[in-house]
Amino acid sequence: MATRRAFLAGLAAAGLPRLGWADIGSPAYLAAGKAGEAFVLHGLSADGRSLFQIALPGRGHAAAAHPAQSLAVAFARRPGTFALVIDCASGLTQHHLVPPPGNQFNGHGAFTADGAVLLTSEVVAEGSAGRIGLWETEGFTRIGEWKSHGIGPHDIKLLPNGHLIVANGGIQTDPTDRTKLNLSVMRPNLSVLSEGGDLLDQITLPDLPQNSIRHLALTQTGAAFAMQWEGDASDAVPLLGLWTPGKPVQTCPMGAAEVAAMSGYAGSIAVSKVDGTIAITSAKGGAMVIFDRTGSVRKTFRRADLSGVAASADGFIVTDGSGAVWACDGTSLTLKARHETLWDNHLIALV
Amino acid sequence: MLLSPIWKACRMRKLLFLLCFAGGPALADFPETVRNHILPGYAAFDLAAQELAKSADNDCTAQALRPAFNAAYDAWIGVQHLRFGPVEENGIGLSITFWPDPKGSGAKAQRALLTGDQARLQPETFAQQSIAARGLTGMERLLYPKDTLPADPCALIRATAADLARTAALINSAWTTQYAQIVLTAEQPGNTTFLTQTEVRQVLFTQVISGLEFILDQRLGRPLGTFDKPEPARAEAVASGRALINVRLSLAALRAMVETMTPDVPLTMAAFDRAQMLADGLDDPVLAGVSAPASRLKVDILHQAVSALRDTALAELGPALDVALGFNAADGD
Repeated sequence: MATRRAFLAGLAAAGLPRLGWADIGSPAYLAAGKAGEAFVLHGLSADGRSLFQIALPGRGHAAAAHPAQSLAVAFARRPGTFALVIDCASGLTQHHLVPPPGNQFNGHGAFTADGAVLLTSEVVAEGSAGRIGLWETEGFTRIGEWKSHGIGPHDIKLLPNGHLIVANGGIQTDPTDRTKLNLSVMRPNLSVLSEGGDLLDQITLPDLPQNSIRHLALTQTGAAFAMQWEGDASDAVPLLGLWTPGKPVQTCPMGAAEVAAMSGYAGSIAVSKVDGTIAITSAKGGAMVIFDRTGSVRKTFRRADLSGVAASADGFIVTDGSGAVWACDGTSLTLKARHETLWDNHLIALV
Repeated sequence: MLLSPIWKACRMRKLLFLLCFAGGPALADFPETVRNHILPGYAAFDLAAQELAKSADNDCTAQALRPAFNAAYDAWIGVQHLRFGPVEENGIGLSITFWPDPKGSGAKAQRALLTGDQARLQPETFAQQSIAARGLTGMERLLYPKDTLPADPCALIRATAADLARTAALINSAWTTQYAQIVLTAEQPGNTTFLTQTEVRQVLFTQVISGLEFILDQRLGRPLGTFDKPEPARAEAVASGRALINVRLSLAALRAMVETMTPDVPLTMAAFDRAQMLADGLDDPVLAGVSAPASRLKVDILHQAVSALRDTALAELGPALDVALGFNAADGD
C-alpha cells in the first residue's frame, strides 16, 4: 500500500490530471473517527471495509466529497479550527483552509454539482451570526461569503436546482468552549439561498423555537431535517421535519417511547434511495428511528452510540462509536464490519 | 518489580482475578451484575406487581391498596435505572413510570378511560392505551386523587394493576429466558447485540451514569427549579409522598449495582456514602422545602453531593471498567 501511495503521490506531484474516485477503489463513503489517540478520515467500501485512512490534525466531524475528483474536505468538529482538502489517492493534504479572521468553520460544507465551488458553513465567532464561505476549487482560495440568514448554521446541502439549503441551528455558542448562550430566545430556521446568495425562502418553527434544526438530507422535493431539542427533556417533540421550499413545513410526530429512545436528539439523517424512507440517529439515546417517506414512524432500532448514517444500495448503512458498521434494510440491523476506529458523527455518501 | 506485570494483568483482565486474588475480594463483573442485581431486581418487581394485582382484585379501595402499591413502587425503583434490553421494547419501561409528564397527558388520558367505553379496560385493549395513562404513575393518580374522580375508579384500578402485573412478568421472563443469555454470551460468535464484553460493561456504566443524572436533573432538579423560581409541585410522586424515598431507593439501587460491577472503586463508594447520608438525613418527604431558603439549602446540598458522585463515578468507575461514555453520545455535534 505504501508503494502504491508513493506512486500515486508521485503522479500528483508530477502535475498529472487529478484522479477520480474510481481510480482509488471507488469508496462509497467517507467517515471521520478516532483510532487510538489519533484522529483519522477513512474511505469505506459499500460493505464497510476501509479502503484508505488519512490522519487528521484533530477531531473531525463531517466531510464533503468532490463530485468527480478524489478530493475530500474534512471539517473539524465545531468550532472549526481546520478544513483540510485531502487528496484521497495520495493521502496528502493539498490545502489547509483558514476562515477569514473572526470566522469559524461550523462542521459542514458542500461542493457545487460541477465541483467548481466549495461552500462552507461558518459563524462569526462573536455572536454566532451565520456565514457561508465560498472557495474556488482549483487552488482553494476564498472568493467570497454570504450571510446564512440565521444564527449558528450547521449542515448545508445543494438542491438539484443549484440553490443552497442551510440549517441555521439558532444556537449562539461561546467561541471557545461551545457553551450555549441563547437557549431561551433561540429561533432556528431553514433558509434557501440562490446561486448568488440571496435569500429565496425561509421557514421557522414558531411552536418549537427551542428545536435546533441541524442536519439535512435531500428528498425528491426538498429536504428532510433532523432536530435537537433544547427545551424540557420530558416534552415529546418531533425530531424530524420535511420541507419542500415554497410550501409549509411539516414536522413528524413520534410516540413518547420513540422520543424517549432518541433522548430528544437527532444527530444524523439520511434518505433511502430505495424507497424514500428516512433514518434519524441518536448517539445520546443509542437509537435510530426509521420513518416512511410521508414522515410516519416505522421502526426503532437500538444500538449504543449509533450515529453516522447514509443511504446504501439496499437501505441504510450506519456507523457507531465503538467501530462497527451496520446495514439496515428497514427491518433489521446487520453487522457488516468492525474497525479499531471509533466512528464520529457522520457518514458521508459519495455520489 | 517482579510482581508488577502480574498486577498490571490483574487490572487489565478480570479473568485473572482468581489467579491474582485467590481468597481475596469477591468476583465482580458484568455476569455478577446480571445474576446478583438485574435478575433478582426484576423478579422482586414481578412478585410485587402480582401482589398488587391480586390485592386489587380482592379490594379496589385506595386505602386497602396503598401498601401493595408502595411495595411495587419500591421494587420498581430497584430496577428503574436499567433502561436497556426488554424494557426498551415499545416503551415498556416508560409505561411503568411515565414521569415527568409536564403536559399532564397521563391524567387527561385517564379521565377519558374513566368516563369512556369500559371495553377499553379489557387487558388486550388496555395494553394499547397511552403509556402515559398506565403503570405506577397512573395508579398513583387513582389511589391518591388530587380532585374527586369523575367516575368510580375501581374498574380502572383493576385494569391498571393487571396491566402492570402483565408488564412486570413480561420483563422478568424476557430477562430470564432470553436477554440474560444475550448479555452473558457477549463477544461469542453470533452475538450481534454485544460484540464485545467491553460493550456490556459500557452499557452498564451508562446505566449508572444516566441513573445518577435522572436523580440529579429530574428527581432533584425539577423541584429545585431556580433560586428565584422553585417548583415544589414538580417533584416526583408528590401525591403518594414518595419524592424523597424514590431518591433514597434509587441511590441504594445504583450503589448495589456498582458493587456487582467492580470491587475496586473506593472513591465512588465514599461519594455514595455521602449522598445517601444526606438523603437519609433529609426530613422533607416531598421536597416541599425547596421553597424556603434554609430548607432549600439542604436539598441543594444533596443535589451537589449527587453531582459530585456522578463526577466521581465518571472519573473512577469508567477507567476501572476500561470504558467511557459513548464517543458520540458524550459529545454532541
